[in-house]
Amino acid sequence: MNLDLLKGSRTRILAVIILGILAIFVVRLFYLQVMQHGHYINIAKTKQESRFAIPASRGEIYAMSGDQPVQMVMNEKVYTVFADPATVTNKDKVVDTLKQIAGGNVRDNFASLLDNKESRYQILATKVTRTQADKIKDADLNGIGFQEVSQRVYPEGGLGGQILGFVDTTGNGQYGLEGYENDALKGVDGYLKAVTDVNSVPLTIGNDNINKPAQNGKNIVMSVDRNVQSYVESALGNGLKKNGAKKGSVLVMNPTNGKILAMANLPTYNPAEYNQVTDIAAFNNDTISAPYEPGSDVKTYTLAAGIDKGVVKASDTYYNTDKIKVNDIVVSNATLGHTGNITFQTALTWSLNTGFVTIAQRLGDGTNITKSARDVMYDYFHNRFGLGSLTGVELANEAKGTVISPDEVQGNAVRYSNMSFGQGLDATLIQVAAGFSSIINGGNYYKPTVINGYMTDDGYEQNPAPQPTRSGVVAKATSDQVKAATHTARASSFGSTDKPGYYIGGKTGTSQVIVNGQYSNNETVGTYLGYGGGSIDSPQYVIMVQVSGTGQELGGAKDALPIFTDISNWMLGYLNVQPKG
Amino acid sequence: MSHYQNNYYTSRRQQNWSRNQNTTRFVSSVKLGPVAHTVLVALMITVLGLIYLTQATRTTGYDYQSQKIESQIADLNNQKSDLQVENARLTALSTVKDSAVAKTMTAPANTEYVQQ
Repeated sequence: MNLDLLKGSRTRILAVIILGILAIFVVRLFYLQVMQHGHYINIAKTKQESRFAIPASRGEIYAMSGDQPVQMVMNEKVYTVFADPATVTNKDKVVDTLKQIAGGNVRDNFASLLDNKESRYQILATKVTRTQADKIKDADLNGIGFQEVSQRVYPEGGLGGQILGFVDTTGNGQYGLEGYENDALKGVDGYLKAVTDVNSVPLTIGNDNINKPAQNGKNIVMSVDRNVQSYVESALGNGLKKNGAKKGSVLVMNPTNGKILAMANLPTYNPAEYNQVTDIAAFNNDTISAPYEPGSDVKTYTLAAGIDKGVVKASDTYYNTDKIKVNDIVVSNATLGHTGNITFQTALTWSLNTGFVTIAQRLGDGTNITKSARDVMYDYFHNRFGLGSLTGVELANEAKGTVISPDEVQGNAVRYSNMSFGQGLDATLIQVAAGFSSIINGGNYYKPTVINGYMTDDGYEQNPAPQPTRSGVVAKATSDQVKAATHTARASSFGSTDKPGYYIGGKTGTSQVIVNGQYSNNETVGTYLGYGGGSIDSPQYVIMVQVSGTGQELGGAKDALPIFTDISNWMLGYLNVQPKG
Repeated sequence: MSHYQNNYYTSRRQQNWSRNQNTTRFVSSVKLGPVAHTVLVALMITVLGLIYLTQATRTTGYDYQSQKIESQIADLNNQKSDLQVENARLTALSTVKDSAVAKTMTAPANTEYVQQ
């Protein structure tokens, strides 16, 4: 049979038309599938691919309890309950269920919020626990949704609030360790880009999927001991009740490695309720943020410098008239009556300013506080003991303080005469305590630290033993003499308050406050700086106490020392320090 | 050999024969034309394509299982975190101090150390 179509036949024409239509289809398909391939692939990817941020968990903060880390700051998943008023069908049931299950977490006027049918989003309750959220979900309420939120939780309440700091609503740490180590604690969010189905379930289709896991924040283990912190806060509170001071600060540290065992300030705040604080000053950790004129505590520094330079010993004498002239000013003693030839030990015990101005003069030509004397004092106070410099402790908002260099016009003999007994300079508690630690531990300056190590998936990883930042700040012999002198100073007046058999030493400080550019006559800050241990060779702790208040005259011996004694006697028992003899 | 053909058998086109070999072979009465052939080929290609698709997307079936398991893991981790928080609250200093056991304890009147 001949299948060729006849030329000009209608069948042939139909065949040509059909072929033409098919050719149009083929060309169109070629255009869409080959030439527009990239364009449609991109549209498909836009619709099919989803991007998710994988939030990183914020690192936890631990404290020590003896030699075991315990959790101080943790994370908790809580839920925000919201409603779409337009889709809520049973308002009464919603109100009753929320009141029953989440009564303490609902907003004040949440029932009326459901009447606003034009709104599509109203928050009804916040910080609802997972158990509460599950119960609400079981009630199967229309128009109710949940938003998961991670929040910080503080099992120890307000303990160490100013050391810890808090996390604000943007998820960033403020103040304290949360602020200083925010980057380490925050971690790095992860990222997931994948093709998803209609329920947003990621699928392993395609070659462009990206799955970058989140890096959770580091879990920091502090050197702060929660038991010491708790006792210190309690002792400080009791002390302020007794002496009526409006403010107080205590710092406890290990002088042999720079580790901070406790830091307390009153008034304080609870980091879980930071948004209820009315006075922003409560966020500040005064032990690191509030420089002040340290006063007579610094006489230990002057004595150390004098002994180390070989110009004095505690047993050397000078002639005390209760007054001493420096250029055109006269420095007087606060305690009068110990006139005549007295030892520098007596000057230390009775905190006689004239003795320490004399040491400053002996660092010079014996009569004047010369430039070389001021250079020596600056070297010891600033370069060796660290006054007027940031210590580098891992807490936010550390203040530097001020020690005027002898090369400046203000660094004259009058200023340095004041500096010899702790005025004319500004320093924070932590600077003074760290410098004092270096004097009594044999001459090694350790950077103060609040970090002991990190908690990892493998357990607790302690940092290597701290090494001195500066060695030989004073000679060992100088260290022993200063310890002996401060021990004698304490024992002669306050030794009966210490537990027998232990080696405790310290120095009182009562410093004037500058008000409106002048030293005030009716406001003083009381401090006590001391150490304790089983023997002269083994100081176990340094404690510094400061009490103050606007318009209050507070004394080192009268107001700060009792708080030191309370904490010192407790520390001896807590650390199981064995008495000698 | 003469060529033989009817509706069911046709001669084999062979020149050399072996013993006991049939000289005819069975022929089916079902005949397929060119359209039927084309449809069959298209169907076979379609089936092969479907087999390819099911195998290629088989892994996505596992995605749902793994997503379910991950969801369970996340749930268990949340429960674990809640228990850790609860444990921390129960072992907090303030809780311990206020406990019935602590309330019956007193400070020692005297502490002595054994000399080592």
